[in-house]
Amino acid sequence: MTAMSRRIMTFPVTATSHTLDDYRARGGYATLARVVRDMRPEDVTREVAASGLQGRGGAAFPAGRKWGVVKLNDGQPHYLCANADEGEPGTFKDRWILENAPHLLVESMLIASYALQVRHAFIYLRGEFDLPYRRLSAAIDEARAAGLMGEGVLGSSFDCDVIVYRGAGSYVCGEASALLTSIEGRRGYPRNRPPRLTVRGLYQRPTVVNNVETLANVTGIVRDGADAFRAIGVADNPGTRLLSVSGHVRRPGVYEIVTGQSFARFLEEECGGIVDGRALKAVIPGGISTKVLKGAEIGPLTLDNKSLESAGSSMGSGGMIVIAEGTCMVRLLQVMLRFYHHESCGQCTPCREGTGWMHRIIDRIVAGAGRPEDLDRLYAISRANDGTTICGMGDAAGYATVGMLDKFRDEFDYWIEHKRSRCDGNLECPSYS
Amino acid sequence: MPELFIDGRPLQAENGQTVIEVARAHGIDIPHFCWHPALSVSGSCRLCMVEVEGRGLDIACNLPVADGMRVSTMSPDVQRRRREMIELTLLNHPVDCGICDKAGECTLQDYHYEHNGRPSTSIDAKVHATKFHALSPRIVLDNERCVLCSRCVRFTREVSGSHGLGIVQRGDASLVRATEDGAFDRDAYSDNVIDLCPVGALLSRATLYQARVWYLQPTRSVCPGCERGCAVDLWHRKPEWRLRELDARQNRAIVRVTPAGSPDDGRWICNKGRDLPAYFGRRRALHASVDGEPAPLASALAAARDIVSASRRIVVLVSSFASNEELDALESALGERIEAYVKRDHRPVPGEIVQDDLLIRPDKNPNRTGALARFPAFDETVRVDASADTLIVWGEGFDTSTVAPGTRLIVLGAFESDRPLRAGVFIPISLQTERDGHYTNFEGRVGAFSACFDKPAGVAHASEVFAAIAERIGVAA
Amino acid sequence: MNAPAAVRFEDLVPEFEALRERFPPGFSSSLVLPCLRRLQEVHGRVEDVDIASLAAYLGVPRIQIEEVLSYYSQLRREPVGRWHVEVCRNVSCSLRGAESLLDRLASKLGVAPGETRADGRFTLGTCECLGSCGSAPVVMINGAYHEHASAEGIAALLDRIE
Repeated sequence: MTAMSRRIMTFPVTATSHTLDDYRARGGYATLARVVRDMRPEDVTREVAASGLQGRGGAAFPAGRKWGVVKLNDGQPHYLCANADEGEPGTFKDRWILENAPHLLVESMLIASYALQVRHAFIYLRGEFDLPYRRLSAAIDEARAAGLMGEGVLGSSFDCDVIVYRGAGSYVCGEASALLTSIEGRRGYPRNRPPRLTVRGLYQRPTVVNNVETLANVTGIVRDGADAFRAIGVADNPGTRLLSVSGHVRRPGVYEIVTGQSFARFLEEECGGIVDGRALKAVIPGGISTKVLKGAEIGPLTLDNKSLESAGSSMGSGGMIVIAEGTCMVRLLQVMLRFYHHESCGQCTPCREGTGWMHRIIDRIVAGAGRPEDLDRLYAISRANDGTTICGMGDAAGYATVGMLDKFRDEFDYWIEHKRSRCDGNLECPSYS
Repeated sequence: MPELFIDGRPLQAENGQTVIEVARAHGIDIPHFCWHPALSVSGSCRLCMVEVEGRGLDIACNLPVADGMRVSTMSPDVQRRRREMIELTLLNHPVDCGICDKAGECTLQDYHYEHNGRPSTSIDAKVHATKFHALSPRIVLDNERCVLCSRCVRFTREVSGSHGLGIVQRGDASLVRATEDGAFDRDAYSDNVIDLCPVGALLSRATLYQARVWYLQPTRSVCPGCERGCAVDLWHRKPEWRLRELDARQNRAIVRVTPAGSPDDGRWICNKGRDLPAYFGRRRALHASVDGEPAPLASALAAARDIVSASRRIVVLVSSFASNEELDALESALGERIEAYVKRDHRPVPGEIVQDDLLIRPDKNPNRTGALARFPAFDETVRVDASADTLIVWGEGFDTSTVAPGTRLIVLGAFESDRPLRAGVFIPISLQTERDGHYTNFEGRVGAFSACFDKPAGVAHASEVFAAIAERIGVAA
Repeated sequence: MNAPAAVRFEDLVPEFEALRERFPPGFSSSLVLPCLRRLQEVHGRVEDVDIASLAAYLGVPRIQIEEVLSYYSQLRREPVGRWHVEVCRNVSCSLRGAESLLDRLASKLGVAPGETRADGRFTLGTCECLGSCGSAPVVMINGAYHEHASAEGIAALLDRIE
């Protein structure tokens, strides 16, 4: 991928690249200046909608369409929230933006706030992220001091403040409605829709929640125009995406890719292939809530929504986890189900009871007391959580489970019959222990 | 006005209604736990799912009606989902029915038999939680039975305003708990959560294990706790379930008090109403007496009649617990011969809430309004026996020891504590649970109560007493 | 155990007031999380008196604070050791050695995950994904990330900070 098609990771990370001076030297805040001087809010929204920018938090909902639901000039406060909770296991790409390009997020949020008539914008930052918190706070202080934020942005009549709100340890708070309920100072319980958050969100006011990376694209779209964004990548999933790659690869890390490039070549060339020269056993492409793909399946696939969906999976949050041959998939599912059980907020029956049940079943299988019917039960519980829950976590636990069972059924059958793993039951490659 | 179809039936709805509201208005019960017409929508139990043509399944409690919408509450998909939700609700629910007070009026029991009926497919041990947790001195909570519908929590936030309950922890470790500063103990409406709870998780300590609900029948009545006169159901043993060997008092006891109608009606009563069994269960006066000596009822009535016919000035202190019928009886029997004043039988006791924004009213008598419509109020600063030679005290709330020795005294009382210590005639009378009648509340609304029991032998209805003691009036003194 | 701090609730009020100024009007309830975080920072945990003081100060029902405290993983009412060592055991960290790392730290410290050493210096725990999967395995010590963690490296660090 050429440097020209990068939109986010466009500069080398140095000791000062996150500062206001460095950001300005890269052209930062020039777009904000033009927006408040020359554009109307609806012009900005129209540009974002025309670009085809889709959410990069996992749901891929068109950002412009979401923004368009907010009625302008309706006499009530509107809110914008950047979802920086980044809790989906395998995902750490928003962190790159928060630590290294905080001003890109801030400028984008100011532009988005201008479009949505937002006076107070929030960044919901997961509580564990410490350096991102310090970088964001510093960036906000710098922006305020430079008149880029606050009363009268850049001398205009547009007032806007960005506030960092720290979470306190809850995966479910990455769900947009739970996130808002958390900002309201309460338990992170997701909400039923209707009403949509863009109609009644934070404190029952129209609110747009966008992923950090989604927002980070806004400045570039408004600066270069929708067409320039559309020109990159595939037509139904335009632009670039940040992928977080982890697991048994030689070069884990954050990569910016153009949508539509070859999955296999990306893993081999960009990420350095599998450690220890092992074969690729499986990839979880977009965070653990997306269905696992066997190594052999990724050959014909490209890194975009449609291709992954045709394989029964999804680009999800861009959290790609690479798994080498020799890894026990039964134990891997155990780790995932333990996670979902721990994180279930407990509000709705199918997820609250179902995640606990699935965890207890997999623990029992691993302990050597599994029965063949247990796998049918896991399928049944996944089905009972499909489309019945308040938020997507119930479905996610089900997808993760069904994905593993569909693709690696023989390992589960083996463990139930022989009361042990078919490999050595380990998750780590020997070189790590 | 949108029209929609539920199971093929065309129904008129109102704008802004949800499917479950329309269904309920037309007598269609969509199974649910967490929804309640008087509370906000929780949408968490997931039991009320219905199928919307062209859109798939959704919960009915949060589904706004749209004109032309076609809803099925019994398609194969809906039935399957309902079974799944019931099984998941039961997953960690203890099979306590044999020892659970809620059996017989438990929606989980009912829904399981009607919509699932299959044994659990889980072979894993149930998650255990606290049983017999003292949520307050009045209410016991069994967390294992709790289905986390959050009705009780929402009640304390949206109705009583005590904010006394919440849910702590998360996932399947979630627990309903009362806030640690005791706010729920002080919630004067706390016991309503017992009715609201769809299962046997919240139970009244006072009624725990007293009777199976199918031993009991409700009789419509009016709470006499204050002048609001909330309509209540008084629950007592059905005739066919009367105990033979045990203390007969059990067969004449009010076991529990609930707001009139079903828990889904959204009517509430305060805790004082819940405690009526203690009021009705106080030691009753069961025999008449004359000048401190037990006497047959007929003798006491005769003695009273003699007093009345020989009196020049009779003052009657009228009970504000009297029914409208009894007040009429007093007026027609003795009206021309007496000066009657309405007293307060009960006053707020120390610590009792005098008045609030919800139900509690300052006058702690059920029918002062009805009495004052017929007679003037009693001025307590005036010595009542100043020029009266006979005083008739009807009901509680007047200290007969203050009456001058020369004044003749007739007391009508239901409780042993009403029996005077000084000379006079005492006639035991019935309670509202032993006759039919009406009270008029402070707004002028007339409420009806019906008898739960026959009056005890040896006890008279006040209206009969007035007729009896007036018999010789008219004969020249 | 953490030494009891001399900082009282009243001492933090000016800071809380400044925080309130940054939020729009009507956002008192939102202050619950940041105030609890700060109270835990100075007291090592959120103490019972903090709950009452905060409810009164913000004008929110006390139950809201009790509920929030028990919901979020990072908030606690019980004290932890001087050094709170949390090992992520989610997928990517497990793929890169978190399980054996946890075992070795447990035997080094002589405690099981979830326990505090008898002298109160170390509490060993586990946590879920910290959003640092590319530098797995990750250990969080008193809230700071230690990435590319190895048993030897963390053990040496623990010896130094002991």
